[in-house]
Amino acid sequence: MSNGLRARGRALHQRWLKRRIPPAQQISLDHRRIFILPSRAGLGFLFLLAILLIGAINYENSLVYGLTFLLLSLFWVTLHHSYRNLAGISLRATGGRPVFAGEQVPLGLVLLSPTRERQALKLRWPQSVPQQLDVPGDGEVASTLYYPTTRRGWLQPERLRIETRFPLGWFVAWSLLDLNWRVLVYPRPVKAPLPVHRSGEGQDEAQQIQLIEGVDDFQGLRHYRPGDSRRRLDWRAYSRGQGLHSKIFAEPQQQSQWLDLEQTQGADLEQRLGMLTGWILALEAAGRPYGLALGGSRLQPALGEAHRDACLRALALHGLEGSG
Amino acid sequence: MSAAGLIPRNSLAWLLTAQVVVLLPHLPRLPWWVALLWVGCALWRVQIQRMRWHSPGILLKSAALVAILLGVFLTQGTLLGLDATVMFLLLLFMLKLLEMHNPRDALVVVYLGFFILATAFLFDQGIPLTLYQCGSLLVLVAALVGLQQSAGRNDPARALRIGGVMLLQAIPLLLVLFIFFPRLEPLWSVNMPGGSSKTGLSDTMSPADIANLARSPELAFRASFDGEIPPLSTLYWRALTLSRFDGRSWSQDRLLNNLPALPLDTSGESVEYRVVAGASGQHWVYSLRGATTDNPALRRMHDFNLQSIAPLNSTFGYRARSYVNVQMQAEPLSKLERARQLELPQQGDPRAREWAQALREQHPDDGDLVQAVLGYFNQQPFFYTLKPTPLGEHSNDEFLFDTRRGFCEHYAGAMTFVLRAAGIPSRIVAGYQGGEVNEQRGYVLVHQFDAHVWVEVWLAGRGWVPVDPTFQVAPERIEQGLEEAVRGEGSFLEDSYLSGSRYRGVTWLNDARLAWDNVNYQWQLRVLNFKGEEQMGLFRRWLGTADWQRVGMVVLGLAGGIMLLQAMWWLRPRRMNGSAQQRVWKRLDQRLARLRLQALPGEGPRAWQQRLQVALPAQRSAIDSFFDEFVRQSYAATDSASKADQQQLQQALRALFKVIPRKRPASASYLLQDGPLSSRDKSL
Repeated sequence: MSNGLRARGRALHQRWLKRRIPPAQQISLDHRRIFILPSRAGLGFLFLLAILLIGAINYENSLVYGLTFLLLSLFWVTLHHSYRNLAGISLRATGGRPVFAGEQVPLGLVLLSPTRERQALKLRWPQSVPQQLDVPGDGEVASTLYYPTTRRGWLQPERLRIETRFPLGWFVAWSLLDLNWRVLVYPRPVKAPLPVHRSGEGQDEAQQIQLIEGVDDFQGLRHYRPGDSRRRLDWRAYSRGQGLHSKIFAEPQQQSQWLDLEQTQGADLEQRLGMLTGWILALEAAGRPYGLALGGSRLQPALGEAHRDACLRALALHGLEGSG
Repeated sequence: MSAAGLIPRNSLAWLLTAQVVVLLPHLPRLPWWVALLWVGCALWRVQIQRMRWHSPGILLKSAALVAILLGVFLTQGTLLGLDATVMFLLLLFMLKLLEMHNPRDALVVVYLGFFILATAFLFDQGIPLTLYQCGSLLVLVAALVGLQQSAGRNDPARALRIGGVMLLQAIPLLLVLFIFFPRLEPLWSVNMPGGSSKTGLSDTMSPADIANLARSPELAFRASFDGEIPPLSTLYWRALTLSRFDGRSWSQDRLLNNLPALPLDTSGESVEYRVVAGASGQHWVYSLRGATTDNPALRRMHDFNLQSIAPLNSTFGYRARSYVNVQMQAEPLSKLERARQLELPQQGDPRAREWAQALREQHPDDGDLVQAVLGYFNQQPFFYTLKPTPLGEHSNDEFLFDTRRGFCEHYAGAMTFVLRAAGIPSRIVAGYQGGEVNEQRGYVLVHQFDAHVWVEVWLAGRGWVPVDPTFQVAPERIEQGLEEAVRGEGSFLEDSYLSGSRYRGVTWLNDARLAWDNVNYQWQLRVLNFKGEEQMGLFRRWLGTADWQRVGMVVLGLAGGIMLLQAMWWLRPRRMNGSAQQRVWKRLDQRLARLRLQALPGEGPRAWQQRLQVALPAQRSAIDSFFDEFVRQSYAATDSASKADQQQLQQALRALFKVIPRKRPASASYLLQDGPLSSRDKSL
């Protein structure tokens, strides 16, 4: 009962937020988008002021009165400073890259302050570690936030909370923003033995393992490109500060492999898609061309990042609404 | 406040600084080990921050708590009361350093700091301390800012600047609140800190008490008169009457004190004056003979003195009108009163009693007898001194007939004793006599060394008549003050080397002292005593009414107005669109528009530069250097200009502004008749 109510309340809140702060790739914070309330520290401070006022009354002490009033005025001034620390900032989403379910998706963000310097801005989602940063006056700062993923498909992160308690911590000013991040999440790869090759019977176990491990003749290094397997990165070179390189292996002439959802077994669709994902990654790493048959659609055997991404995308969106 | 996270180094430095500045004003009142304890705690804390030492465990913390409780008890003699509470808070404030793990703990330290800052005002309300505490407040606010700043930042000056700006912005609202907030009656009665140790009169008087008081250069009160200041020799400031004598010391008669006040004839000559007194923790206040007052916090007593209903726990100012020639209690004394005003111990001072009997026989008239006693003081070799010879068991006997060296209390005490022994009702009045006139401002400063006691005799048909035996011995004391009276002895303020009053002979020093005293007087009058009558008076002057409803409306209006204005200023929308470069460009446009020069739509900076070179040939070098810088930055690789770049561009713009004409000259050869430069220049 209360759960239902809470869910309804949350939905109402989200609808209201959507009307008030419509999603956009770039949002500039103004009075309609900023909320501000005294923090617990601020309420504690008011309590302190009440004690001071009682002291001033009882001891009829003008200077304690004065101090109390000065601090009360300072409380009021702080309200504006906290608000102003947030007002006028622009946030711009700079995209993210696809990840596998269960990984943290990196989401790029630029904060721009056309006027003053901003200090101690905290960015966070409810389930993520907050990140605190300063924005220089008349400048901008870029940052990458990480958002946890659980399911494949299009990821639309919750509203990002940007908040500040600067300068005195007595008020918390915040906004909840939807920066229209849309990131594809591939199925979580599941390790499984490759299906038996259709046209080549009698392949021994050894070769299968070899394929999965993807160990072949080392050819050389090339600069890292997004999408390169992490296993092939030359970490040793990286640690020497020579930049990120990927190891290239010779591509033995292999017969292409067809992967089909039908080849997988098990009741759980997600599990089966995960197996396909794992195979694609293994074959790509091994440099063996592969094709994907998924329900009605077929992707002809090929090799390379573009092909791999197309396959993974198909898997990510398989059976989901609005796939495409 | 998130409990997570450590305390940044930057804010720890601020916290330690804040502790020092907040603790300093308290240290003189506290034992030496308090300062030592702070140093220990601070050192430990720094070592914790450097990961060298551990935080103290629960056992050590409990032990420390017990230890400080013990320390407070041993120092103050109690765990209750304000002094002990403040000391305990101070010690907790220090120990909290060792238990400060996260920003929330640090916040507690700062809040405690605010509180301790306030308690210092209970002990001292002078201008120097107030100014100092403004600085302390700034440091505390800076510490709060430091707590909020991002951990990596290390610019303490910026925290200080932010705090300072915010405090300045808080001043307008502070003023409105301070002036208009109604000063309420105390919710419950409280004891003054250090009340017992205050210098001043007390309600009992033993030989040498007043002489001790007369060594103090402290200020007792100030008084300003509505007209001319009466001659100092007539200024007998009454505080209390002492009617009970136990053979050694004189004290107040509580029974007589509680009798109802007697009527006062208010038809004669009167003086009106205002007295501002510091906190004494006592009930009595200072007034001239025959005083009346409208102040509801005061009441007239049976002995014609004024008294405050509540003890003076803070600066207190009041107006009074004295009918200086009035008869006090001219009707016959009641039996009880007469008996008590004649009462003497059963035994002691036999020679004084004998002498009184002899005088009685000689002078049947009370008035004559009083004159005879005064004559005795006048003619016998009495010596007025701050260093009287110590007296034994029969103090009045020894003083009257042997030593004959004494201060006012000896003369008044002995005279009252003799008069009572002779059957004349009499009592001692304690207060102050004379004072120092601040000529420039026209008010009287009364110091503790002006403390004085004299005698009041009840004479049939005339009531209580003041009589001052000291005048017979040392008239200069009454006419010129204590300094003159003890000049030969050199004992005036002999222990107070730093007191300004001691150097009244040095003219410029004395002028400076009196000017500073006036500042203090105004401070006391206008700030410290700003309550009750003062506040109402201000309302009446400004608003024509002291009616709370109207005052409330004005307050709300003023406070609301200030808040609204500030809010509008802070929240005004800023059109800061575009980069720094675009803004510079716009400023150049506006300036050149005055000369009717205008960039064409879509014109690039280089083309515009060429046209300007032609239009303003004399300023070519400034134009070139500005545009070169502008173009260089426009096509630089980075997106956002650095601070240095921005400054350089601004500088180039300023240099350009300096050389180009402010207005379009009448015979502007470089201009077309009207409107922007057009096609002809374009061809360039």
